[in-house]
Formats: sequence, structure tokens, C-alpha cells
Amino acid sequence: MSGDHSPESDEVLGTRLRAELRRYAAPTSLRAAITHGGAPPPRRAMWLSPVLAAAATVLALGLVFLLIGPRMVPADPVERLVRSVVAEHTRALMWGARRPEVIPTALPWLTQESGIGLKKVFAGDDHLQFSGAEPVYLEGHRGIALHYRDADGHLLSYVVLPIAGFPVPDRRRVQIERGTSRWRPALMHDSGFSAWVWRQGDLACFIVSDMVSDADVERFKDYFVRLRISTDPVPAQ
Amino acid sequence: MASDEFHRLALEHLDALYNFAMYLTRNPPEADDLVQETYLRAFRFSHRFQAGTHLRAWLFQILRNTFLTFYRLRERESALAEDGVPTWDVPMFHDAPEESSGAVEAHTDLERALLRLPEEFRTVLLLAEVEGMALEDVARVLGCPVGTVKSRIFRAKERLRGLLQDYTNK
Repeated sequence: MSGDHSPESDEVLGTRLRAELRRYAAPTSLRAAITHGGAPPPRRAMWLSPVLAAAATVLALGLVFLLIGPRMVPADPVERLVRSVVAEHTRALMWGARRPEVIPTALPWLTQESGIGLKKVFAGDDHLQFSGAEPVYLEGHRGIALHYRDADGHLLSYVVLPIAGFPVPDRRRVQIERGTSRWRPALMHDSGFSAWVWRQGDLACFIVSDMVSDADVERFKDYFVRLRISTDPVPAQ
Repeated sequence: MASDEFHRLALEHLDALYNFAMYLTRNPPEADDLVQETYLRAFRFSHRFQAGTHLRAWLFQILRNTFLTFYRLRERESALAEDGVPTWDVPMFHDAPEESSGAVEAHTDLERALLRLPEEFRTVLLLAEVEGMALEDVARVLGCPVGTVKSRIFRAKERLRGLLQDYTNK
């Protein structure tokens, strides 16, 4: 790095980008195809077939999961709840939110529907992009789910349910520190997904994602901190 | 807005969109596909476009989202070994992939340096500096606050300077 951050050098760099970069004009054939054809269906891209095949596989696996899932209900209530949250995450992953809403415009509606108020909410940053919020109903509890997507396409679901005295499993707790702050959520796994589980007042909170490898878990910890610090759910009055 | 009028206005941005697509994909056939897909979606969802808002930003937003949807998925697929386990750790702001066959060669150090930037940084420079888009429009394309756009521009230029410096030293 040059270390030169003066506004002038920024301006010079901007001028160079405008002046020196080649500009590519659209080929005549492309212009004609769009103009005369009213944008005909594009040629099938090379990568489209494998992507569609992968999507079909995910869909098929999802159906299998839906068929055999109910037969293997865990006895432990916390594990059962985690499984429900993971199933909700899987649904969002495959089909998207039923009615994705953008905070803060939908906040009053979400609070009314979910019974969860948000004193503050993480709206996304360079690493995580907010993709939607929706009310959920899991294991007999109304709650809220916020969905985020990271730069690599991992979907994160942050689910909050009003369960007073929710027992966080002690033996699964992981210590996470950031500056002077410290948290001890439990890290649980179900159906190939990881979930942070913790209690916040009278609320049970979960963050689910498919980040399961050792390297992913470090990043998953970072996402936990980002969401935990910037989101403050409370039971709606 | 009438359909013909919408088509006419949208096509005014064809060259700019193609230029952006070329710097994202670095591959003419893929840029063609990306731009065609962008217009296909824009025409299909033209009823959602609110007259009076910035058509150019909306089209760039569609193009970038389409690129991220397909290209990122493809990158993820190729990064998986047969057993489904990633063969390498995917960093958050990953650098651009090495040039593949059919990719357009960079002619200048500036172009080479720009193509080595992570997509997030490359895009913000292309939109704000090359296309001269207002920060609010860039923020709309990227789906992030204006403050984030400013900080990304700052960091992108910082990295670009570093890469250019490396080339100079070589």
C-alpha cells in the first residue's frame, strides 16, 4: 500500500479509472437480439444446467427430509425445538420466506403477528445482507425469523421464540468473547446444520446456518456476535 | 409506463450494462448471457418498476444480482470436492478468480489491478467512478447504506493503489 490517502490522490485514481479503462460496447448481435426479439430467452448458460441439477437435488432431499423427519422426533425438548428451527431454516433456504418483509417498514406488522418486538435490529453490513423477516409458529410458539445471507451465499436464520426459562444445554456451551463482551451460547447440530442457542430474558434465541466445518464455525461465531450485539428482541406488550 | 417507452429507455443503457458485465465476467459470451438475462428480467418485471425512480440503477441492480446468483453458485460448486467438502477456505472478500480460458486479457496495469479486486470492491469502483453513478444509486444497486458505499470506495481505492504499487515495484 502506498499509504497515500489524500483526497487528491483519490481523485486522480478516479480520473484514471474513467480515462484509462477500456469501455466495451455491446456487440451488434446482442443489441439486435434484445431490440428486435424483445429480449428473447437467452442462450442457456454453461453453468445453468449444473445449477438446476443441484437445485433439483436439494428439492428432492428436502422432500425426503419432510417425509422421514416426523418419524424421528427427539425426546429432549430443546433438541426438538432446535429441529423445528432448523426445519424452518430449511424451508426458507429452499422456498424463500413465505412473506418476506423488509425492516423497518414492516416492524409494527411483524410485532403484531409474531408477539416479538425489536428494540433494535441488525440490518446487515459488509458481511451479512438482510434478506427478509417473517413471523413463525414453531412447537406451539409464535415467534419471529430474520434471514440474512453472507457473501458466500450461506443463509442465516435468526429465530426468536417467547419461552420463559428456556434451558440452554450447559455441556454444549461455547465461550465467545469480543472486546469486553462475553457470551456463552450452546452450539447444537441437527440434520447437517449448526445452531447457536441461547436465552435472552424470557426469549429463546437461535441462529441457524449450514456452516459446520471448523473453519466455518469461526465465521459462524463472528456472525453470532454481529447479530447478538445489534439485535434486541423483547416480548411485545 | 408504456411497454414500448420502457423498452426504449431501458435499451439506452445497453452499452453501460455490457461494459459492467464484461468487467464482472471477463468473458464475452458470459457477458452476453448476463446482459440478455438482465433485459429479460427487466422486461418481465417492468410493471414493478416505479416511474420516476432511477431506471439505470434498477437495471444495474438486476444485472449484479443475476451475476451473483449464478456466478457465486458456480464458484461454490467448483470449490467443492467430490465428497462435498470445500477444498479450500472461502474468504469473506475473496479475490477475483484466476483467468479462465476465453477470458479477456487485461492490457494495462490499472485494468489488471482492477480485475484482481474482490467483486464487491470492483463493482463499487465501476459504478461510482467509471459510470459516475451517484452514491445513493450505487447504494441501491448494492443494497447497502450510503455510508457502506463510501467506506467500500475508500477501501477499494486503497487496495487498488497497493496493487498498482506492486506492479510498479516489479
